[in-house]
Amino acid sequence: MTKVVVSEVWKMYGKVPAVRDLSFSCESGEFLCVLGPSGCGKSSTLRMLAGLEHISAGEITFDGKRINELPPKDRDIAMVFENYALYPHKTVGDNMANALKLRGMPAAEIKTRVDRAAAMLQIGHLLDRRPMELSGGQKQRVAIGRAIVRSPKVFLFDEPIGHLDAKLRGHMRGELKRLQRELATTTIYVTHDQLEALSMADRIAVMNEGVLQQIGTPQDIYNHPANEWVASFVGEPPMNFLDAEVVTTGSETDLEVRCGALRVRLSDAHRHRLEGVRGGMRLGIRPEALQVAGAAPGADWTAGTIYAVEPLGGDTLVEVAFQGGRVLAKTGADFRGEMDAPIFVTVDSTKLHLFDASNGRALT
Amino acid sequence: MASRDIVTYRTPASVLAGIASAVFVVLFLIWTVLPIFIMFVSSIKDLLEAFKLPAVGDWSGIGVFFDFTPTFKHYVDLFTQENFGTYFFNSVASALGSAAISVVLGSMAAYALSRAEFRGKKDLFFWIISTRMAPVVAVMVPLFAIFRYGGLVGTTPGLIIAYTTFNLPFAIWILKGFFDNVPYEIEEASMVDGSTRLQAFKAIIPLVSPGIGAFLVLCVLFAWNDFLFASIIGSGGAKTLPVATSGLVQPQNIQWGKIMAAGVVTTLPMMLLGLVIRRYLVTGLTMGAVRG
Ligand SMILES: Nc1ncnc2c1ncn2[C@@H]1O[C@H](COP(=O)(O)OP(=O)(O)OP(=O)(O)O)[C@@H](O)[C@H]1O
Ligand SMILES: [Mg+2]
Repeated sequence: MTKVVVSEVWKMYGKVPAVRDLSFSCESGEFLCVLGPSGCGKSSTLRMLAGLEHISAGEITFDGKRINELPPKDRDIAMVFENYALYPHKTVGDNMANALKLRGMPAAEIKTRVDRAAAMLQIGHLLDRRPMELSGGQKQRVAIGRAIVRSPKVFLFDEPIGHLDAKLRGHMRGELKRLQRELATTTIYVTHDQLEALSMADRIAVMNEGVLQQIGTPQDIYNHPANEWVASFVGEPPMNFLDAEVVTTGSETDLEVRCGALRVRLSDAHRHRLEGVRGGMRLGIRPEALQVAGAAPGADWTAGTIYAVEPLGGDTLVEVAFQGGRVLAKTGADFRGEMDAPIFVTVDSTKLHLFDASNGRALT
Repeated sequence: MASRDIVTYRTPASVLAGIASAVFVVLFLIWTVLPIFIMFVSSIKDLLEAFKLPAVGDWSGIGVFFDFTPTFKHYVDLFTQENFGTYFFNSVASALGSAAISVVLGSMAAYALSRAEFRGKKDLFFWIISTRMAPVVAVMVPLFAIFRYGGLVGTTPGLIIAYTTFNLPFAIWILKGFFDNVPYEIEEASMVDGSTRLQAFKAIIPLVSPGIGAFLVLCVLFAWNDFLFASIIGSGGAKTLPVATSGLVQPQNIQWGKIMAAGVVTTLPMMLLGLVIRRYLVTGLTMGAVRG
């Protein structure tokens, strides 16, 4: 049980900053996901935690103890590398046992631990093979096995299941989450897959271009993205963004956002968010916050045409074109509609996201 | 990973190419094996029998080659009359000594050059290789002067140092390439697993063993077959096999039998070495270690 605190950490490669002024903490026993697109500095952050990269500025502490100057072996961490980094000349079993042997654990104990991890990862039949004779997904599981046989202070995972097939990835998400809860080991997990982050993490730290954008629970990140970038990165299918303007209808307190033909009357809850904003703003609407219908059931509905229909099995995505814009809506599997057929769309105004167009910040 | 079998299909051209290569291999084998064969056979023949030759063009007389009573007297003479035991030991000591020193120092230097970034690294590396660019004879005179000053002429340690000067740059050059091919992540994984920097270095040594094997062979071969250093710096006290063999050529009397036996004594250990070390030369252990 270790609390990890990263404060004002920078990573420079030469003159190029890869991580800028990063601060977050990971409570003891917490599962923290670092989420961000390729090249945003996730691995750099993890490698600084592991002691494989110098910390250019700032400080990292484990349980209040500064670890900047400690070599990896004294930090008591277990890490799964992005590119496996298995020992090619050792068998799978020896790969997994290596760290335990280095710590002088008795052979019987090593065997139980290796066997247990292998069973969980479904690689029990591969223990005598060498990494060269494994598929990519099998290698990745061995790399995970090498970390979970230990009981370290902190687990560091760098996209550990990125190369598994979809089915196995789903299985591993559940297994890893359960394992983490059982061991209650502080875990920092790097991924570019927002689904992985949303489904596994206690909290998510979203990064872009080396800068922390937001840190919060998955619900927080999904329902209250701090800015337009986070909103666009998290969620599948992605959020719709529309340039919109705020107009006063009737009395001074009746506000409406407009984007071409699409009009959304704001609920009272939203009103204070728009104070001082007139004109330039961005509207964010998740596909599930949109409803579509073949005939207009009411006045709040906007007329448009079907641009494309994508059935996904369980749901159907409908792209609706209206005068002045286009949005993607998620609807039931029973939706039927031809291209270019007329359709009506409406927005659930309680699920609206509003962003300041000048800096992308969420208006709250 | 998929297998690395090369998929081939039979075509008339490939059949023809197969025959042509078989013919080539046979000719090549005759060309390379025959001299060695003659050396072996002559070393166990009495001098008179060794010079019994059929007339030119008389292929039926070829049996004369094999018409002899085997004798090991040349070998016995070599070790009793000619002191070849000492020379053999000198050869082994100087070859293995310089190989061991070069491999230890060379792998550490190569590792540093492969892993660390520092100013002037490229220049340093080029300088190391460039020391091998001058022919041995060019440096022989100054080297001799230095060695005489240090009292190393005619001693086995002197010979070991001389071979090491030439083998070390070579070791660094070969091994750096092998270290470059070992992903640094493997060491990082090992350090995360709990090893020190030095233990991590040792952990990847098996991965460069093909390089170390290749280098050992080349290094031992260089020292074992060397004549120039051995005859000048080793002269007197530290005669090696090639120098001693050349000593069997005397103005009045060329001792063919002993020369052939000495040839066998010199060649055989290298052949055995090749067989032993072959395993290391052909395995590429790092394959498939890293994703992508
Ligand atoms: N050794 C290095 N030298 C110079 N620049 C580097 C080095 N390592 C990483 N970078 C740069 O730092 C930035 C962050 O890299 P990092 O590996 O942390 O990204 P990442 O978020 O892990 O990306 P991915 O999801 O693709 O693994 C990138 O722009 C990368 O080009
Ligand atoms: Mg990365």
